[in-house]
Amino acid sequence: MPPERKKVTRASDRLRRLLVIVPYMVQHPGTELAEVTRLFGISENELVADLHLLFVSGLPPYGPGDLIGVDIQDGRVWIDMADYFSRPLCLTRGEALALYLRGTALAATPGLHEATALKTALAKLGEELGPETLRELPLRVEADGGGGHAEMLEVVREAVSGLARLRIEYYAQSSAETTTREIDPEEVFFAIGNWYVAAWDHLSGAERLFRADRIRSAEPTGECFEPRGLAGAGRPLYSPTERDVPVRLLLRPGARWVAEYYETDEEIDRDDGNVEVVLPASRLEWVARLLLRLSGDAEVLEPAELKDRVRELARRTRERYE
Amino acid sequence: MYPLERLVNLVALLLETRTPLTFEQIRNALHEAYDQTDVDTAKRMFERDKDVLRDIGVPIEVVFTDAWEVEQGYTIPKDRYYLPEIAFTPEEISALFVAAHTGGEDGTAEDAVRKLLYGADGGVLVGMARVPLTAEGGISDVRLTAAAEAVLERRSVSFGYRTARGQASERLVDPYGLVCRGGHWYLVGLDREREEIRAFRISRFSTDLTVAGEGSEPPEGFRAAEHVQGGPWGPGEPEEPARIAFAPDVAWWATKGVSGAELGSTRPDGWVEVEVPAGPGDGLASWVLSFGPDAEVLEPPSLREEIVRRVEATLAS
Repeated sequence: MPPERKKVTRASDRLRRLLVIVPYMVQHPGTELAEVTRLFGISENELVADLHLLFVSGLPPYGPGDLIGVDIQDGRVWIDMADYFSRPLCLTRGEALALYLRGTALAATPGLHEATALKTALAKLGEELGPETLRELPLRVEADGGGGHAEMLEVVREAVSGLARLRIEYYAQSSAETTTREIDPEEVFFAIGNWYVAAWDHLSGAERLFRADRIRSAEPTGECFEPRGLAGAGRPLYSPTERDVPVRLLLRPGARWVAEYYETDEEIDRDDGNVEVVLPASRLEWVARLLLRLSGDAEVLEPAELKDRVRELARRTRERYE
Repeated sequence: MYPLERLVNLVALLLETRTPLTFEQIRNALHEAYDQTDVDTAKRMFERDKDVLRDIGVPIEVVFTDAWEVEQGYTIPKDRYYLPEIAFTPEEISALFVAAHTGGEDGTAEDAVRKLLYGADGGVLVGMARVPLTAEGGISDVRLTAAAEAVLERRSVSFGYRTARGQASERLVDPYGLVCRGGHWYLVGLDREREEIRAFRISRFSTDLTVAGEGSEPPEGFRAAEHVQGGPWGPGEPEEPARIAFAPDVAWWATKGVSGAELGSTRPDGWVEVEVPAGPGDGLASWVLSFGPDAEVLEPPSLREEIVRRVEATLAS
């Protein structure tokens, strides 16, 4: 009976959703369907289909006065006769743990102004859900942000919500240079220990990702911008450009982490335990610095120009110690 | 009757009933739901529905309804079904909303926060969803919560693990704690085969966790964070401090987030001297080298020599 089984699974997902969405709609009479769909990550068609089933449900004997009232008008919805669904189903243990852990991690990220509210919220959550839900978890979990504290984070976040153009002083790792430029910041997000800003960069006339802790100063220019709909969070931290040069490296076991840490176009595991990788790079400076750091653990296979760059960098570094 | 309709009616009935209801009473009340002529078929369908409800976290209590303990009755206790009232401030709800959206793709944390926001101003939250402060989750909520459960229950777990050097192996670990550092989650515990406390990065797990029996208690004074890599230069207790000078372009950010770093004087040429705690191993030298000619080790001499040796090896290759 696989078809019946499938139907039941789908019904359980829909039920789980309804037991959470209905209380929101009961508490907010006349709420917009669009608000509900965005808050609960559900399409309008799915929502309306679920609501249509809801208003033939209720309590025995299922007469007109026993059924849940659902009224949809001009994109707004009213629900009544559903007092027993005016509060949502309690969190499952897994849900409570997941939220607590994500919250703890975020509260520890450097420079986040929500951190205080987040910490008190997590404390309330632990207390109100009762000792059997989170138990000793707060004692057995520790979080610190690591990564750089981004002093300009708040200025950038304000610019993102106000669509304000910024003039920034920025140190770019890829070229090891500090430049001043104007950017239209569209999104700020935290990934692998650092804050990033997705923005339109007027200096290069292209979309760029900036590490927030490398923005030395940021000031609104007074102009506003129209968002271009840049991909923000969830995007890869590296986006290919037309100027990319393929860099082929041989990584010995001590440098294996490079294959994991950076975006690679190709990865070949060799029989001797080494890995050959191709990294796309629009600038060679950062790769040269990476190779200096890896010393004997990595070798440049191509381009030849990079070998010269590494040697030149090593020579200049050596000079410091004379 | 659609399965969803039947399930909604069943939840409403069992929530609102004053006394536990037997299957026969449920069948009569929800007249169209379990109306198969064969009682056993109807009962099986009811059992499946009960499992569905339990799966999504609806608590169903089963009690005997007669003194001879023959007949069973079902009810959903209100105090266990409903989310307790939690007086969150609007700032707290917003902060939780933001945090939930940093979770993994399976969205367990998002499901959690959706239950909490029923009394909140959704318009404000939707506005925040427009400008998400989304962190990349990297690992699934399911794997992370499984690790937390193992830490709480003190259960041994086995899992596939890939080290930073790419070696894959099966590990058996007694979990003691969870640490989040630099955006990565680590499970810290006793590696039973190696008989050592180790930290395992959850993003390097190659399988889900399997419970493998009773675990052990951590040693007295155990602190999980001490077993996770401290600075950019690897694990271990700081030994003697190192003094490093940084060029003006990099000095203002180089040691941000490096715990124990102390900014010293700025030289006339704009270079800044910083004292950092040095750990064992060659990680600190690697880190300094990543700055190329923009950093110079001043002390200790052994670290200076190590830098020179490595730079010369690069020059000779």
